Amino acid sequence: MSSDFLEKLSECVEFGKINLASPYPPQMKGLPGADEITREALQAGVTPTEILNDALIVAMNKVGQKFSENKIFVPQMLLSAKAMSASMVHLKPYFASGAVQRRGIFIIGTVFGDLHDIGKNLFAMMVEGAGWEVIDLGIDVKTEKFVEAVERYPNAVVGISALLTTTMVNMKPVIEAVKSAVPGTKIIVGGAPLSAEFAVSIGADGYGKNPQEGIMLLDKISD
Amino acid sequence: MNKFTQQVLQSPKLQALPIMTHPGIEAIGSTVYEAVTNGHIHYQAIRYIADNFDTLACTSIMDLTVEAEAFGAKINLPENEVPSVSGRLVSDAESVAALEIPTLAKGRIPQYLLANRLAAENIKDKPVFSGCIGPFSLSGRLYDMSEIMAAIYIYPETILQLLSKCTGFLVSYCKALKATGTQGVVIAEPAAGLLSGDDCMMFSTNFVKQIVDAVQDDSFTVILHNCGNTGYCTEAMVASGARALHFGNAIDMEKVIEQCPGDVIIMGNLNPVAIFQQGTEEAVRKATRKLLEKTAGHKNFVISSGCDLPPHVPEANIRAFLETVEHYDFLCVSRVC
Ligand code: B12
Repeated sequence: MSSDFLEKLSECVEFGKINLASPYPPQMKGLPGADEITREALQAGVTPTEILNDALIVAMNKVGQKFSENKIFVPQMLLSAKAMSASMVHLKPYFASGAVQRRGIFIIGTVFGDLHDIGKNLFAMMVEGAGWEVIDLGIDVKTEKFVEAVERYPNAVVGISALLTTTMVNMKPVIEAVKSAVPGTKIIVGGAPLSAEFAVSIGADGYGKNPQEGIMLLDKISD
Repeated sequence: MNKFTQQVLQSPKLQALPIMTHPGIEAIGSTVYEAVTNGHIHYQAIRYIADNFDTLACTSIMDLTVEAEAFGAKINLPENEVPSVSGRLVSDAESVAALEIPTLAKGRIPQYLLANRLAAENIKDKPVFSGCIGPFSLSGRLYDMSEIMAAIYIYPETILQLLSKCTGFLVSYCKALKATGTQGVVIAEPAAGLLSGDDCMMFSTNFVKQIVDAVQDDSFTVILHNCGNTGYCTEAMVASGARALHFGNAIDMEKVIEQCPGDVIIMGNLNPVAIFQQGTEEAVRKATRKLLEKTAGHKNFVISSGCDLPPHVPEANIRAFLETVEHYDFLCVSRVC
């Protein structure tokens, strides 16, 4: 019974079926989506932890895999992330009450000087789907804003995104300032022009080529 | 036959066309802000490039905000960085339905038309290309770039309506650019490169084609630029009917050339930042030679930067690029390859 709900929900997230109203994907048109199924599942007694671990995370893993193999594109991945968020809305009260534990807090932003945010948004949504609370600082984020955020959430992991060769160098001062404000803060970086070597050279704790790698890093850091 | 295509295909010489105006803006001692707000300064920057670099043609500023501003989007205009759009202008069916197609008197459009007219009137030794944003990228700037990516599936009618309005505006803008006397227009459609080939066809090509059909003829050429394409949108780009296609550094030019018809001009794709802006002169030479070797023998290939050259590109790097092309050409011609 509970596995029925979880399977259906997982399918909705994998294929980007947000809610009943959404016409996408065409083969699921007119059917309930992640939104309705999550509500029903909770009413039927499926636990929020099961929903998170056995439906959302499983589905988002599959989506990440397909994206890294170029089997799906940015729109399809965003739709999956939106379906996941629609489910997550129903889980929020359980997170807030402490009934379900989040994996941790993740602060993310695009480094100052850089306005690209599609990749950052995608990664943020995937991280949320992996069970983290995400605080998105937006684009063109100045060093002080990152520092303020870690001072407010001292146990958070920080993620920085950059898409320009000219702005990836701006990550270094951010990392230095964050680590000196709250020593021990873990910081991961990503974005098309970066590499693992570059991440090491600026003092980051890790580099994720794609969301999946990024989430694996986060899991490692939080374990 | 289209004059520009003929000029390239029949040229005995290798052709280079880096997309650039920022080096001109810097050389005449102006700021980006001045150039994107004042048609006279914009023209002087184009003029500097035309007079000082031996390139196939010159281009106007790749300003991807001027059209969104005409629609009413809020724009940040920093002193020495490219302008950007802030916030979103439309977010649902109602706001899209209410969106009015602006006249050409809005925002900085008159200044851009002025710059193009001055360039067309005064630069006689090489073609001048105007520039504008593509319909999908413009729609993304108005609707939010991430949101539009999902909305093409959730609210396709709304997005198609937005695309129609954007295209309506771009057709009249391109007609006005053509009327200034320039030889063509570079339509920049970077965001469409993130779509699948089919979606690129439906949400970009179908609309780009309307612009192509409205303005392209023997003496006015559309160059369709898509630096987001990593290889899945090439067919859709060809289907636009644009006589010239311009590719970014995320794609393999050898494969592109194989995929495109021989009478379509193919341009690309040296990294504008990693090579032109941050590379040493030697790195520029090496990358240029490598690309020329890979594309050798293809008469329809014009070597270019993968995107608009950003501010702060050393002039020495541009010279190293052009010298390498010329030298390679000389070696090639003398060996009759
Ligand atoms: C869309 C786009 C734009 C849009 C941005 C819209 C938006 N809201 O984001 C617009 C048109 C506004 C734009 C502007 C510019 N752009 Co642009 N743009 C692109 C384009 C086509 C796609 C980028 C993208 O979204 N990719 C898709 C996402 C999903 O990929 P991603 O960001 O890499 O993210 C993935 C991973 O990297 C990872 N990831 C990302 N962040 C993080 C963070 C962490 C912590 C982790 C773990 C992982 C991670 O996960 C994501 C999913 O897999 C690229 C070309 C290309 N092919 O990449 C050029 C490109 C990035 N732009 C470029 C340039 C030069 C510019 C401009 C300077 C152009 C100009 N002259 O105006 C301006 C810059 C303005 C500024 N100051 O930022 C160049 C950069 C060259 C370089 N090496 O520096 C590129 C490569 C184009 C090119 N070929 O020259 N651009």
